[in-house]
Amino acid sequence: MKHNKLFSLLVLILLASMVLAACQPAATPTEAPPPETEEAVEPTEAPPEPEPTEVPPEPEPTEEPEPEPTEPPAEEKVTIIIGVTDRISSIDPADAYSTHDWELMKNMGEGLLKWAPGTAELTTGLAVDFPEISDDGLVYTFKLRPGITFADGLELTAPMYAEQLNRLLTIGPECPNGVADALATPYVASIEAPDDETIVFTLASPVGFFSQVLAGAPYLPAHPDIFSQEECVLFPEAPIYGVGPWFISQVNYDEQVVLEPNPFYEGEFTPQVDQVIIRYFADPQTMSLAVQNGEIDVAWRFLGPELISQLEEVAELTVGTVDAGPIRYLIINHTFPPMDDPNVYKAVAAAIDRDELSDVVYSGQAIPLYSQVPPGFLGASEAFDTLYASPDLDLANEFLSASGYTADNPLELELWYPPEHYGSETAAWMELIQQQVEATGAVNVTLQAQEWSTYVTALTGGESYPAGVLGWFFDYPDSSNYLDPFVFNGGLGTNVALAAEGSQYGEPINDTAAEMVELMAQADVETDVGAREALYQQAQDLYADLVVTIPLFIIAEHVTYGPSISGSDSYAAPEVLNIGPTMEFNYSTLTKSP
Amino acid sequence: MSPIAIIALIIGIPALIGLIYILITGSTGLRRFVITRIGLTLPMVFILATLVFFIMRVLPGDPVTSALGPKGTPEIIERIREQLGLNDPILVQYGNFLKDMITLNFGNSLTGGHRPIVDEMSERFPATLELVIPASFLALSLGVIGGAWAASRRKRATDYGMRVYSVVIYSLPIFWLGLMLQLLFGVWLNWLPISGRIDPVIGTTLDRTTNIYTIDSIISGNWLALGSTLAHLVLPTVTLGLILSGVFVRLTRINVIETQHADYISAARARGIRERVLTYKHALKNAMIPVITLIGLQVAILLAGAVLTETVFSWPGMGRYLVERISSRDYTAVQSGIAVFALLVAVISLAVDIIYSLVDPRVRY
Repeated sequence: MKHNKLFSLLVLILLASMVLAACQPAATPTEAPPPETEEAVEPTEAPPEPEPTEVPPEPEPTEEPEPEPTEPPAEEKVTIIIGVTDRISSIDPADAYSTHDWELMKNMGEGLLKWAPGTAELTTGLAVDFPEISDDGLVYTFKLRPGITFADGLELTAPMYAEQLNRLLTIGPECPNGVADALATPYVASIEAPDDETIVFTLASPVGFFSQVLAGAPYLPAHPDIFSQEECVLFPEAPIYGVGPWFISQVNYDEQVVLEPNPFYEGEFTPQVDQVIIRYFADPQTMSLAVQNGEIDVAWRFLGPELISQLEEVAELTVGTVDAGPIRYLIINHTFPPMDDPNVYKAVAAAIDRDELSDVVYSGQAIPLYSQVPPGFLGASEAFDTLYASPDLDLANEFLSASGYTADNPLELELWYPPEHYGSETAAWMELIQQQVEATGAVNVTLQAQEWSTYVTALTGGESYPAGVLGWFFDYPDSSNYLDPFVFNGGLGTNVALAAEGSQYGEPINDTAAEMVELMAQADVETDVGAREALYQQAQDLYADLVVTIPLFIIAEHVTYGPSISGSDSYAAPEVLNIGPTMEFNYSTLTKSP
Repeated sequence: MSPIAIIALIIGIPALIGLIYILITGSTGLRRFVITRIGLTLPMVFILATLVFFIMRVLPGDPVTSALGPKGTPEIIERIREQLGLNDPILVQYGNFLKDMITLNFGNSLTGGHRPIVDEMSERFPATLELVIPASFLALSLGVIGGAWAASRRKRATDYGMRVYSVVIYSLPIFWLGLMLQLLFGVWLNWLPISGRIDPVIGTTLDRTTNIYTIDSIISGNWLALGSTLAHLVLPTVTLGLILSGVFVRLTRINVIETQHADYISAARARGIRERVLTYKHALKNAMIPVITLIGLQVAILLAGAVLTETVFSWPGMGRYLVERISSRDYTAVQSGIAVFALLVAVISLAVDIIYSLVDPRVRY
């Protein structure tokens, strides 16, 4: 008994000391926030202040720009709620590399150049005019418009902008999403600001589409106190300020992001409502129900074809089809049998019926694609339709018999696909492609599925599969972004120009490939739009002749919204809330009626 | 203090007090049992985490290619793998993982935003708790009351009705039931919200301290937020609770029926005690022992298994988190999530064993 009491006492003391010990360290983290708030206030003072002697009288006014004090209660604010099934990955301009991240960044930022809402036309943003381009095409000079201010009151100057843009070249390559390696370091040699209004880009070599690249999210001005020079800041704490019409006031990951108007914004896109909330959904089905019962005002990306068809039947809702979106195509490996035989890949190109794929699997909502460059882009053609009149089974059989493949001696062909990555409907349209190709009577197609990360490495490595499915969405809206990646240096497994160390374009496998590479290389440095267009048209003819890839269809994006929401009639495509071929969704053009 | 630390304290302090009480007042056998179980928990978590660590790396695919897709050139993929330490020897990676786990740091996730795992769990874990606790209460209440009611009216219409209910509700696919409730109460009647944890606009006014929104809205006195949170809880809780209640109905019913044949019940009945008192006061208590065991098992399964409910209702909880991260091969997130679950399951099963001994004095350790 005595032993028991002693034991109990010991346990009690031990546990009590554990509780006390556990409570103690808690004091340390609670001390952390004050320096953060100091940091947030401090920087806003610095840039606008030319006279350091006046420091004492004005330490606090920098907090005045905060819009909170005059705000109406949350429930009285005019709020537009937009549902998406996307996720945020990063909002650091030196790192972010996904459509949804860019959408948020473009709404809180503005670049030197931007896309006019609803179109693919470049217009000026922070720059007073289009750039002055040197004769050798290497130097782009911009003048900043006056009065550009971040949402916390910090004024943007050209040296500050240049310094922040240089993050792309310095720390950008160390960031995990790889945007700098794709859209900055291959093109830009240096970025400088000779004075407070001028920004000068010097390129490593002439780039015909550099203005299009510049209009992208990586070239937005990043707030110097939020995005440091030392490291990538994928998820800074809210509020996150830019120079665009909105700033991010709250972030609850996987739940919602709240955007409020930038009180200092003086540009073209003044917000029409008090706040926009982006709400994240795990399931498209739930998002479609949420827009039906009014929990969200707009259902944006992604609702599948079945849900879109259902929503089109709901009287109060408008379903707008944006004639743009990701494309689907077959990568043809030109060095892997049997796809190393031109007759084989041409036969497959001739056998595929894109209309049937769209009608059967996507209820007609996918747009058949007859060139790797989608309609609306510079020089886009329908070369595959011209050459192969797809579908044309007689033509396909001519190609096959030329290589000795008949019903008695059928071609054995493997087609690969990832079963989940592009949606569960991938299996359905792959089976349809199998049937279409087998309809020639001279081909036996075996479908092979593989888990995504293994699949993409094997397919784009160009050594494992004869053919497989991939998807693509542009990094910048220009034809070069739909052609170059599939041709140059291995071409994501097409092997029409074999990867070669030290070569920018790779080693073309035949004369047609060499001619195509030459045309595309010329187009990439050509600054005259007409000349570029002609070059891309010629390149697409050769691309189709070589069947570098087999373009299949565009999965058109849809935007669904309730009766109180409307786009702006001042811009193109108000019926799809001014979302154009660039897929940019500008929240400032939205209005909400009571 | 992070929300997860606050929750750990909210759950941990009462648990600690309970533990102290048991260690002081319990029998020597019980104390030995409790200490042994605590001692075994740590190796169990360690073994499980180790298994998950190696299994994740044996599976095909890796987080970098999975995230970058066709836009990831070999050079970029190699650089990022190097930065994330995925090119280190497996034992070095394992050592780093153990160090992170022991320091409860868990490192950063390998995909998405590469955020600290502790931050991600601080958001996800409270959401799961907020869903699972009321769903368990609902399941238990419906199951125990329904089961006892069926037992007390054995071979009558009520009994048959409850038996049919328990089989049908248990065999319904959870996503189908969720969808039907969403359509009925959310779209057609428009009575209840169908997605998320709180109204988006009201959510902007809520101070998130624990990330359990009911608690946060009470702490901050935000009654609008409390109302919205409760409204958002109804459909997912009912969906999950109803599905789970079936098994409790069956178990309670059969145990109450068995107990009703016990001698002490017959003796009580002979003394003229009313049937209702016999069932609900005397028989039910003794029939609860297997039910308590099942509660422990179900809560453990629920924590990870609420994934379908979380998906259907866009509820950002741990189940969905783990599924998303497994598919993107986010090693650190999966390892850490499973280690935390293992710890929690061990604690729950220990609690169940202790409650077991308190409910049934015949149980001796």
